[in-house]
Amino acid sequence: MSLLEIYRKVRSGERVSRAEGLRILAESELLDLADLANDIRFRNNPDRAISFVVDTNPNYSNICNVDCIFCAFYRHPGEEGEYAHTVDEMIANFKDAAAKGVTTVLLQGGVNPALPFEYYLELVERTVRDVPEIYPHFFSTSEITGMSRISGLSVPVVLQRLWDAGLRSIPGGGAEILSDRVRKKISHLKGPSAEWLSVMREAHKIGYKSTATMMYGHLETDEDIVEHLEVVRRLQDEYHGFTAFIPWSFKPGNTPLEKIIPHYATPTRYLQMIAFSRIYLDNIQHIQASWFSEGKKTGQIALHFGADDFGGTLLEENVHAAANFVNKTNTDECIQLIHESGFAAAQRTTLYQIMKVYPIPAELAA
Amino acid sequence: MSLEDGLLLYRTHDLIALGKMAHAVQQTKSGDAVYFVLNQKIEHTNVCVLSCKFCDFAAKKGSSGAYEMTTDEILARLTPEIQEVHITGGMPPDWPWERYVDIVETIHERLPHADVKAFTAVEIDFFHKKFRMSIEEVLRRLKAVGLKTMPGGGAEIFSERVRKLLFNQKIGAKTWLEVHATAHRLGIPTNSTMLYGHVETLEERLIHLIRLREAQDETGGFLTFIPLAFQPGDTGIKPRNRFTSAIDDLKTIAVSRLMLDNFPHIKAYWVMLTEEVASVALNFGADDMDGTVGGEKIAHDAGAVSPMTLAKDRIIRIITDAGKIPVERDVFYNPLHVFADNVIGKIPYLNSVPFYAHFEKRRFRILPVVPRRMGILSQQGEIDAGPFSLMDYVRQREQLELMGWCIATRDQVKSVMLFSKGGWADLEGKTIAITDDTATSVQLLTVLLEKKYGIRAILQRLHAGVNDYSGFDAVLLIGDEALRRNKLGMDGFELVYDLAREWYDWQKLPFVFAVWAMRKALPAQKKADLKDSVQRSLETSEMDFASVAGKHGRSIGLTEGETREYLEGFNYRLGERERAAIEIFEKLLADLRQLQEN
Repeated sequence: MSLLEIYRKVRSGERVSRAEGLRILAESELLDLADLANDIRFRNNPDRAISFVVDTNPNYSNICNVDCIFCAFYRHPGEEGEYAHTVDEMIANFKDAAAKGVTTVLLQGGVNPALPFEYYLELVERTVRDVPEIYPHFFSTSEITGMSRISGLSVPVVLQRLWDAGLRSIPGGGAEILSDRVRKKISHLKGPSAEWLSVMREAHKIGYKSTATMMYGHLETDEDIVEHLEVVRRLQDEYHGFTAFIPWSFKPGNTPLEKIIPHYATPTRYLQMIAFSRIYLDNIQHIQASWFSEGKKTGQIALHFGADDFGGTLLEENVHAAANFVNKTNTDECIQLIHESGFAAAQRTTLYQIMKVYPIPAELAA
Repeated sequence: MSLEDGLLLYRTHDLIALGKMAHAVQQTKSGDAVYFVLNQKIEHTNVCVLSCKFCDFAAKKGSSGAYEMTTDEILARLTPEIQEVHITGGMPPDWPWERYVDIVETIHERLPHADVKAFTAVEIDFFHKKFRMSIEEVLRRLKAVGLKTMPGGGAEIFSERVRKLLFNQKIGAKTWLEVHATAHRLGIPTNSTMLYGHVETLEERLIHLIRLREAQDETGGFLTFIPLAFQPGDTGIKPRNRFTSAIDDLKTIAVSRLMLDNFPHIKAYWVMLTEEVASVALNFGADDMDGTVGGEKIAHDAGAVSPMTLAKDRIIRIITDAGKIPVERDVFYNPLHVFADNVIGKIPYLNSVPFYAHFEKRRFRILPVVPRRMGILSQQGEIDAGPFSLMDYVRQREQLELMGWCIATRDQVKSVMLFSKGGWADLEGKTIAITDDTATSVQLLTVLLEKKYGIRAILQRLHAGVNDYSGFDAVLLIGDEALRRNKLGMDGFELVYDLAREWYDWQKLPFVFAVWAMRKALPAQKKADLKDSVQRSLETSEMDFASVAGKHGRSIGLTEGETREYLEGFNYRLGERERAAIEIFEKLLADLRQLQEN
């Protein structure tokens, strides 16, 4: 089949196979990829609007025993600079954020073996009760596996308890690259890709919504990218629990992997990831580009490569910052960045419900 | 394209469609190549008599932060691998003329392989006024000590309204264009710029582009156009104190590529544009990343977010990821090194177009390169195949394998022409200019001069592009430039000789200028794919030359009929008569060498 025939297949709404996907990724001209992705983006999300969320990414602890070589954030127990915040401290942090207009808190930590399961339950309960303006979007799959280990409860039971405490949405981080060939090298203690997938499956089964992520730009090949998207697409077919897919590039600063991968992935590669995930993931409604992870200008361009969401305003962020990657915005600037790109800006909730639309101002409407 | 066309393009929401149009034009200009240069930027002083509102680089003499570099201090910043030294600076009140001459001359002497690109039109005009010399005299003297090209800065935006608002002490459009036209007449190619994203309107940007296009029609001396995104920082400009959006940046690159149809290159200058936008711009019409730069004080002082220096390997990675061939170039855009596999050379002249209509993208990538440079790249093992100049094939026979195609004339060629002030007999002892692009034509000229007419002349190589030929007795031109000049005529050179016709009248044989060859070491499958691509391209093209090459012909002023007639004059298949012609030519050359040795 020629590349053009594969494009026709995509445009007609048919699902592409792994082999076809690989050809699209490896052989397409950049702007042909963008064109194809945009067709699907406007089919799934016809409005010329880009959504965003007012959010923050604090961390309750940086103590972690998983030792991923791409991470500059974690500390071992007892190491200089380690911390673990109390529930009270976190609630105060959330109240502060809520006062600034934040609606979503994406909360993660390290996988801290010293914190009991009750800590997490209390965190969820107190957030729901004491800071109702905030929608908790808490705990990556690694942390949930960690809670299971500490409590001796199975993952489904851990998830059920958290659900009963009021948690409804979990972040999709920790997926890294769902290819065991690469995972063994970069995060061997994080468990095989099956572990991320099975926690997600159990969560979706209960009724949780989550995002799915991908971290590229390290040791992966095009085949690994396709493999990652394939397993995400298959899981989505089961429960439709993924709200959005979010790729980001590995940031080498201050990580053990820096010696092998000295360079950030290029903006072109990011645009390929955005466009290709839009094309391959025919069953996930939102593709999130970010002003944050690759830079504001790349973020703006990505809105023309198939993305329909601009992520969050990220009042607080510590993980990328630990890798010397610092990027800041505020709600006004976020809206302006979207407007300059030629779209209306739509503030949304954690679960992608539109709260308020900021139409494109006349002078930018061309 | 008109100003209205430009506005329509700027106002589209379909960024990708705009990019694709510009990218298509980019590919006709530079194939899959994206250029970069190992360069060093020197800002010899920040002391400046002007006070432009958008600049926070300049300082007043004696103020804190003011600096002035000596020639030795400048030399200390230059390392041996540098190919281009880019010199611009403030305009100090008290430097003597000799100090500027000394900078250019010393760099040229101490680093002969590095080309000096120095002084914006603003500085040239400053020298003209301060040292009481005509603009032409200033440029002539700088050229004499080693100036090769001029940067394009100081154009800002060609609008009197904006000039009065932001830089009323600076030269306006008229002077800027006059300085550049003068440089072009003297054989100094230049760059051009536009500073956008401050208080200018879209109409003003488009007028700027149109005026550059008109100037290029006159002289042909602009190498590249560089849109410069305004850097708000601690500058005096308040109205729009924000960085330009990435969308505006990309649209500006694309619209420039589409409006400036007579410019060979569009540069995405990463220092001003950011690495993010410059990377993506390589698919939106830009074919040049500038270079390693070294230090960039002007943009940095205004808070540019790019890192100070992008190392060469980062640039190569960015270009590779964009799906392009990273090509290290010199100041005239001659390729020096190619950092990619599966690269096929393409002679960038009308007569080679029929070979490339059906190359599958991504399998083979196309690098336009003039004949002599193609030979050098092949010698370095950096390209896989191409239509090699006959002389290069002969020199590299051991490594190359013929593919069965050639670029041969039947009885005339029209694109390898000697423009002369007198007849053949008058050229005895005279100086003939030959351009940097030719490898075989210059040998044919020598054979004709010495073996057919018994004449010895002096040959002097100049770079291809704009040149001041007035001091020569004859000029040998090849390719599109020869075709264009053949049609328009060349002032002062009344006699025009078609070298293929001279050869035919003498030998009654075709002349073979180039032969298709590929590296013997290539895998068999690749060889087969390559042959298949060339064959399919040629067969399709031969059905209707005008539809395949009409656009290229138009760009050099030929009608469809003229393009068809020109291409029908070639024989693209290497047959018995062509092989016989090669043999005779080689023998004549060998005789000549023996003669010269004796």
